Amino acid sequence: MKRWLYLYRDLGVQLLALYLLLIVPFLITLLVFNQLVGVRIRENVEANDLSLAHAIAQETNNSINNSLQAVQELAAYPEVVQADSAGMDRLFSVAMNTHPNMNLIYRLSPSGIMLYHYPTGPGSTVGVDFSFRQYYQQALKTDQPFVSEGRISPTTNQPVATAVMPIWSGDGQFLGLVGANIKLESLSNTLASIASEHQSQEGLQVAILDSSYQIIAYPDPAFLLHSASDLFPDIYQHAAADNGSSQIAADSGNNERLYTHAPISDIHWEVIVSRPTSAAFAAQITLQHVTEIAASAFVLIGLFFWAILSFRVIGPVEQLAPISEAIGANRPISQEERDQLKRLARREDQIGHLIRSILRMEESIGDRMKENATLLETSAAVVSSLDLQTVLDRILEQMSRLLKVERCAIIALDEQHGVFRVQASRGLSKSYVERLAIQPSEPDSVTMRALHAKEAIYVSDTETDPSYVNRRGLSRSEGYRAIMAVPLNTQHAPPTVLLVFHAVPHQFTYNEIQLLTTFANQAAMAIENAVLFERSDTRLEEQTRRLEALIQSMEDGLILSDLKDQVVYANRRVGELASLTPEDLAGASVKSVLARILANAQDTQKAQQEIKNIFEKAGARKVEIDLSLSGQAASMRLETFDVTDMRDIIIGHGLILQDVTADRELDRMKSSLISTVSHELRTPLAGIKGYVSTLLADDVEWDRSSQREFLSVISNETDRLSSLVNNLLDLSRIEAGSLRLSHQVCELEETIQRAAKQARLEAGNRLEVQIEPNLPPLFGDPPRLETILRNLIENAAKYGGSDAAIRVEVVRQKDHLVFRVSDNGPGIPPEESQRIFESFYRVDNSLTRTASGAGLGLAICQGFVRAHGGRIWVEPQESGACIAFLIPLNGAADLQKSLDVEHNGANDERD
Amino acid sequence: MNAIKVLVVDDEKPLRDFVRRNLEVRGYEVLTASNGLEAMALFNTSPVDLVILDIMMPHQDGLETTRRIRQSSNVPIIILTALGEEADKVRAFDLGVDDYLTKPFGVGELLGRIKAVLRRSHWSTPNTDDERIVRGDISVELANHRVTIRGQTIELTPTEYNLLIYLMRYAGKVLEHRAILQHVWGAEYGDEAEYLRVYIGRLRQKIESDPLHPRYLHTEHGIGYRFEG
Repeated sequence: MKRWLYLYRDLGVQLLALYLLLIVPFLITLLVFNQLVGVRIRENVEANDLSLAHAIAQETNNSINNSLQAVQELAAYPEVVQADSAGMDRLFSVAMNTHPNMNLIYRLSPSGIMLYHYPTGPGSTVGVDFSFRQYYQQALKTDQPFVSEGRISPTTNQPVATAVMPIWSGDGQFLGLVGANIKLESLSNTLASIASEHQSQEGLQVAILDSSYQIIAYPDPAFLLHSASDLFPDIYQHAAADNGSSQIAADSGNNERLYTHAPISDIHWEVIVSRPTSAAFAAQITLQHVTEIAASAFVLIGLFFWAILSFRVIGPVEQLAPISEAIGANRPISQEERDQLKRLARREDQIGHLIRSILRMEESIGDRMKENATLLETSAAVVSSLDLQTVLDRILEQMSRLLKVERCAIIALDEQHGVFRVQASRGLSKSYVERLAIQPSEPDSVTMRALHAKEAIYVSDTETDPSYVNRRGLSRSEGYRAIMAVPLNTQHAPPTVLLVFHAVPHQFTYNEIQLLTTFANQAAMAIENAVLFERSDTRLEEQTRRLEALIQSMEDGLILSDLKDQVVYANRRVGELASLTPEDLAGASVKSVLARILANAQDTQKAQQEIKNIFEKAGARKVEIDLSLSGQAASMRLETFDVTDMRDIIIGHGLILQDVTADRELDRMKSSLISTVSHELRTPLAGIKGYVSTLLADDVEWDRSSQREFLSVISNETDRLSSLVNNLLDLSRIEAGSLRLSHQVCELEETIQRAAKQARLEAGNRLEVQIEPNLPPLFGDPPRLETILRNLIENAAKYGGSDAAIRVEVVRQKDHLVFRVSDNGPGIPPEESQRIFESFYRVDNSLTRTASGAGLGLAICQGFVRAHGGRIWVEPQESGACIAFLIPLNGAADLQKSLDVEHNGANDERD
Repeated sequence: MNAIKVLVVDDEKPLRDFVRRNLEVRGYEVLTASNGLEAMALFNTSPVDLVILDIMMPHQDGLETTRRIRQSSNVPIIILTALGEEADKVRAFDLGVDDYLTKPFGVGELLGRIKAVLRRSHWSTPNTDDERIVRGDISVELANHRVTIRGQTIELTPTEYNLLIYLMRYAGKVLEHRAILQHVWGAEYGDEAEYLRVYIGRLRQKIESDPLHPRYLHTEHGIGYRFEG
């Protein structure tokens, strides 16, 4: 798989594969064709040779058969049988004439003695015994004609083969034989003529071998009767039986030859045709050579192209790939690579072109990158602040850096005056900055033109530009020759323009304009952000201040904490409660702050447990704990709540500490009031009910005086009840501020006595009244004054005991009258002296009637005294109790005024 | 038989006189005091059969007086008060008062309560019965009112004693509030379920080893109580 990928990745391999794809089938076809054609050619050649051999064999056979037939016929002649020399001479000469291939016809005797031969010739062998001849031996065994092996005829001294016909008598007696020597030369001549016919085929050899593999016929007579192995490789001894075949073998000279043999079947001779394979298969070999040359040519050409392609195309492309990748990734290119590229870039072809364009691209990418980096840097610098002035300064700084100018400015609409002024500048003269005020309607101003056109406007040379004629004075005085204005696309900020100045004529390039325009977008964003932030910041600050003031002024403590329970915010009250400075509070843990507050708890452990519960529990998140704050008992309600963000995810906790002492006090007062009032009302009711039921009882008959006594008690108690009800009403009027007193002269002595009488003194009680003489008249409300005194006397009697001495004293003190009611009882504990007047409330919840027995009474007293513009207090005394009050002597107007003041004061106290 | 001696304590003269006159006319001997200190002085000098106490009084209130009396005596105590709230009553019962009258009240009511309280007190006086009731670890000798729990003798007020005896006699049965009140306190009673709550609570404190998980005195919510022996 990887290899395949490699193939796909490598252009060289791909090209090679393509080339092979084209070449290999071609070469295979060539080889197959070569093979097929080679075989065909070889078969043709072999068939040709075989047919030639067969033809020669046939011819030879015919000629031999003729000879055999001739000797057979001769043997049938009686002259021959009888070995009649004359007859034989005639017959043989005839036969000789008709068979030119014969050079000797002869007759052997049965014992093998030459009887006669024709022509008789010079070297006659008549009489010679030829019985050693192999053909003689053979003739003894057969009655058919045959051909003998080749040999040298002693008679003619020529190589011959003999056609032999044995002669048998009618009774089977061997009578000798007739032989005819066939000239082997004649056979050779035939072969030579055949060979000459095939002269064009060089190296063709034709030979006839006899059964003992002697060369019987050969174009070169010198080889006659030589063993076949002299001429041919030793190959035919074994192949003689078949019907002819071909074989390739090396000859004695080690040249490859094609040997074809055909048997002359009747006489067991063979014809052999041989030729060098180079000649026989010339066509095939040529074809093979062509194929080889073609294949090598393809391989060479392929290699050549491959090399060219590798060195000239693929190599450079491969080199280029990582470099272009590096360029794309903005990686630095090594010097070596760069040199390589430069070398390649010198090429004139497409590769050179490609590399040149890549180098150009690299350069431009580098430039663009650098530009972008600068822009990014400047933008980042510009937007890194939200303070408008800082933003403007940074814009100028970056502008001058970006465009490499020394002078630049930001012009913005002064919304108050409706003109454009320099908002910030760099390198410009102070007078120019202060003087410059462009009217929005001014047509020649580059600034206004840029704003209207919403694109960059520039003047390359103020001296030559016709549009700048009217403003030339300005440019001359400030000393600039080129100016460019780029408008900022602002929505929330006033219209703004960036200005760039050049001291010499300057042709602003497209790149510069583009750069400043892009920068202007960033600058606009930064200015907008700063303006918006300034606005929101102001609003937020105002809101925060308001909230802060509100929260700080709250009487309730507020702690906001993060999820790690660190205090994020705590108001003044928390600091007071925990006795911590704001600095200590910041960053403290809620736990430690609470621990400081709870240190004042009446039951610290319980309070801590309860607070732990509200922090851990999800449900009940309020708890009240009792504290002592600066020595006073107080109730503090703690309430926790979760602080969530906009997605309702909890980001912290809040804790409100509310001082509910007043509420609890009020609750206590209310329930105490009810129970006290009910108690006070039940007391006279108990008397009434008791006596009424006494009178109604069936089992006892009361005497009349008792009945009257009971009824008078009932009446008194009823009066007491109604006066109580009236007093309660008065009290509620005082509370509501609607009590109206009458102002008439009070007879002090008379009032005191009436009060004492109503106070139901015990028999043992003594009352002493002492009034300072010559007192001015007291203007007041006599029934209320009487009530005050009665209540005080009653209390004194009750607490002083049944034999108490009660003393009422009235003295003048400046413009007040001071009343003192004292007894000789156990006195009032100092810690109670402040509280006993606090309406009728049983503050300590004790049922002991030390103060509260008179609770309602003293409260009523205080109410009435205050209504008169006076005040009431417990006067410290060595023994017994003394309650004093003062009433102002002055008139009704003052009274009313002081009443109001007191009333308000009372309210203040309670609050 | 000597006249029954009653100590009446109230800081309001009309009320004190009303009680005194009515009791005297019916043959009781009455001592009066106007505050707790006086009352203690009288109580310590002459034996009384019954104390009638106001709560809100100067110098020493009725509850404190009750507490001091109970330190030395099981004399029946009836509280008179204008404080009608249940918390007040419960506190009074906790201190060991026998009954509670809320002002205003009539003569009949007063006399009925006095009789009932005295009757209970009378029942708790020693009798000649040799009977002995044993339930679990609790053993009561009726002859001398001795109550022993796990071998320890405990002190009970007459009402506590009567309540315990009644519950023990009917051990295993659920007794309704009204029935208990009428049997133990008297026929005049029946609606004062809070009396029971207080007394059962005090009995549990005295006889149960774990008052929060009682073994003997079981509450049948909304019905009454049951003693398991």
